[in-house]
Amino acid sequence: MSASVLSVRDLTVKAHLQGETRTLLQGVSLDLAKGEILGLVGESGSGKSLFCRSLVRLLPSSLLKIEGGTILFEERDLTAVTDAEMLKVRGAEIGMIFQNPTSHLDPVMRIGDQILEGIRYHQGINGRDARAAAIEILAQIGFPEPVRQYDSYPHELSGGMRQRAMIGVALSCNPQILIADEPTTALDVTIQAQILKLLMDIRDRHGLSIILITHDLGVVAQTCDRIAVMRGGRLLEQGLKRTILSAPQDPYTVRLIHSHPSMPDVALPAVSAPAPSRAATRPLLEIDDLHVRYPTGGSLFRGKNARTVGALSGVNLQIMPGETVGIVGESGSGKSTLARALLGLTPISSGHVSFDGIDLFQQRNAGLARLRREAAMVFQDPFNALNPRLTIGQTLAEVLKVQKKIARADIPSRVDELLDLVGLEREFVNRKPRSMSGGQCQRAGIARALAVDPRLIIADECVAALDVTIQAQIIDLFRKLARDLNLTLIFIAHDLAIVRNLCERTVVMYRGEIVEDGRSEDVFSRPKHPYTAALIAAIPDIDPDRQLLGHTDAASLEPIQSFKRMP
Amino acid sequence: MHRYRFVLTRPLQFLPVIFGISVITFILVRLIPGDPARNLLGARATPSAIAKIRAQYGLDEAMWQQYFYFVKNLANGEMGKSILYKIDVLKLIATRIEPTIALVLSSVVLSVLIAVPMAALAARNSGKAPDHVVRIVSTFGIGFPPFWLGLMLMILFSVKLDLLPVSGYGETFGDKLVHLVLPSLTVALSLSTVLIRSLRAAMIEALKSDVATAARARGMPERIVFWRHVVPNSLVPTINLLAVNIGWLIGGTVVVESVFALPGMGQLLVRAIFSRDYMVVQGVAMVFACATVLVNFLADVVTVAIDPRVKL
Repeated sequence: MSASVLSVRDLTVKAHLQGETRTLLQGVSLDLAKGEILGLVGESGSGKSLFCRSLVRLLPSSLLKIEGGTILFEERDLTAVTDAEMLKVRGAEIGMIFQNPTSHLDPVMRIGDQILEGIRYHQGINGRDARAAAIEILAQIGFPEPVRQYDSYPHELSGGMRQRAMIGVALSCNPQILIADEPTTALDVTIQAQILKLLMDIRDRHGLSIILITHDLGVVAQTCDRIAVMRGGRLLEQGLKRTILSAPQDPYTVRLIHSHPSMPDVALPAVSAPAPSRAATRPLLEIDDLHVRYPTGGSLFRGKNARTVGALSGVNLQIMPGETVGIVGESGSGKSTLARALLGLTPISSGHVSFDGIDLFQQRNAGLARLRREAAMVFQDPFNALNPRLTIGQTLAEVLKVQKKIARADIPSRVDELLDLVGLEREFVNRKPRSMSGGQCQRAGIARALAVDPRLIIADECVAALDVTIQAQIIDLFRKLARDLNLTLIFIAHDLAIVRNLCERTVVMYRGEIVEDGRSEDVFSRPKHPYTAALIAAIPDIDPDRQLLGHTDAASLEPIQSFKRMP
Repeated sequence: MHRYRFVLTRPLQFLPVIFGISVITFILVRLIPGDPARNLLGARATPSAIAKIRAQYGLDEAMWQQYFYFVKNLANGEMGKSILYKIDVLKLIATRIEPTIALVLSSVVLSVLIAVPMAALAARNSGKAPDHVVRIVSTFGIGFPPFWLGLMLMILFSVKLDLLPVSGYGETFGDKLVHLVLPSLTVALSLSTVLIRSLRAAMIEALKSDVATAARARGMPERIVFWRHVVPNSLVPTINLLAVNIGWLIGGTVVVESVFALPGMGQLLVRAIFSRDYMVVQGVAMVFACATVLVNFLADVVTVAIDPRVKL
């Protein structure tokens, strides 16, 4: 390996709060070689983002200070240079791209002009040449019509194109090192695969060194040369990708690798073996030719014949009692709309949904009353789905009071029972969401769903916001609950590996339609629809030898384009 | 450019608004106690003379009939005749509209010229001395009523320092400009305080935003980060606030024109109300209302021009 471009030794960052000093980064030492992609892995709060921001002295608060260590870059110590010199390092030497391109791109500036800014400022090129250079960058980062798209604004682009634009803006400064902070976390798998390919392509073309911050070991396995694992502000271990993945030293790394929901070759035992008598029983949930359309635009004078956009078109689905069904698809494919329509939260344009034989369209009130007693939902964002003013005990008791299934006096014991069920200590009765971690909040959310003693639980992206180790715990919890309580579970996720692990049946949605429906093993091993095949090929596997998009060539992905999220 | 299509369709929506305004002003004016004919002729007028005047101006007819004539005249581009000045109301307004427009425009320009640098100074030094000074001064500014502020400025600049004319309006362009300095400064000082507070808050927000962080991560100096990325992103809420306040300001010219004896629409309105000159009150109120609607429409156009995400 060639000489390192960046060499960090004993970097320490402390936060000075009122009278209290907390160490956020403790003696982190790391090297980055030229042309290398280094994966920086860790859960939220591990200090991986802070480490990268410290490199260019962009600390998120003035209360944080670099207290020790050196950052050696081109024979200079970046902790010692003046602020004016630092301006020349940022962007021009060390560029950054961020997780959320929507908020980091200037919404009122044309994409081309944002790229132009860096070219003019850092490379000193002006006028027509600068514009030509900007268009050249747009072409490089995969804009099909760079001349026309120069004039696009960020909101006119899809999430994937925005992230490409963000990479273009970073490239415009012509840096040697690119720090990519969770660049694909907010993207769908197919788009994620394209962005990762783009990053590797840029590395090859420009000889860039890249620090890729991520929580997804699959991404690291597919793209990086070396891995560094962080936790609690310390660097636990670092080394070559294959060494770390095959023989991790630190127990935390071992846990991280085991929590990764990778795709097993051998079929996992399904959650519950399909009972032979099932074919005879009546489906719990029956969806027949369901259409949901949202109005777009319309005005005072054209109220009647406003245009609509179809979110679901002709969905047919039957779910048997006790089944565990995973619904997958990229954002905008209609999975969440389907969930909302099932619970009567979104008006149905046409078609039928019946729950346990009651049609929700014809007997709306009776149907919904029944449904809401017997079905519950677990939401994506565990913090915002819980009332911040209520303790967990109050939240659970509220549901039990409204349900009136059990006597008032029995409520406290039932609350304890629910907490036991989801694996929370009983002392959480008096805790409020703000003093709980994301995983604990999600457990509380599941306890609230279980409080109605439901037959059906709909979980909408309920692990997407959690760290991998926590994700694995929540998935285990769902598996156990589905088995013990004989629940019917509809599990909506964009993460196919999780669905593969948890669900016995998988439904794939694409543009408001169900394109594939079958037993999980069959769907994943022998996908019938090209879209399903593309989705599966795009999952970054933790095994570096199973290459990203290995089975399908990249060209076959092109016709399946991502489209913008519904407004 | 379909984003600007509303420029063509939106004026259609003004019609019901303007209709509503015409009804309200028509009724309100007639609810004021007093009689224009009696006011014109004085206390010792004979009942027959009063009746003659009332018949001449159509005041003896039913309310709905009077309104019908009012609308009919409006459709012909007329607003009736002033009882007091004995000339057509539109012509009367035409002679008085220039000082008012000049006052509103110069006040708005002046307050933006004050507000943007002050808000920028405060936001870029958020929490430090300049920020505190700007905030305290602007809080005081909101507390002072414009008529009092106008008198104080008059005492300082005209009476003590003898730099500017006390009141009135000039003949030549330069002369008019000199006469407008104090009135527009009075208005601008009150108006800019509101703008400073809104703009400062928006700028502080934008300085902390991801857009600014990303620009800093590209090595842009703080000056470019601020003027190129922060300012355009913090203007939109303030533009709408400014539009609302201009609407308020158009009505507020009544006070300022009285204090500085500017021969504008505000002054005309005050006189007309005192002499129950219904036609003039109606006419001026209609013009003020239409101007307010127009200003808000212009604010929408500017918002669409600044923020490409806005669709109207």
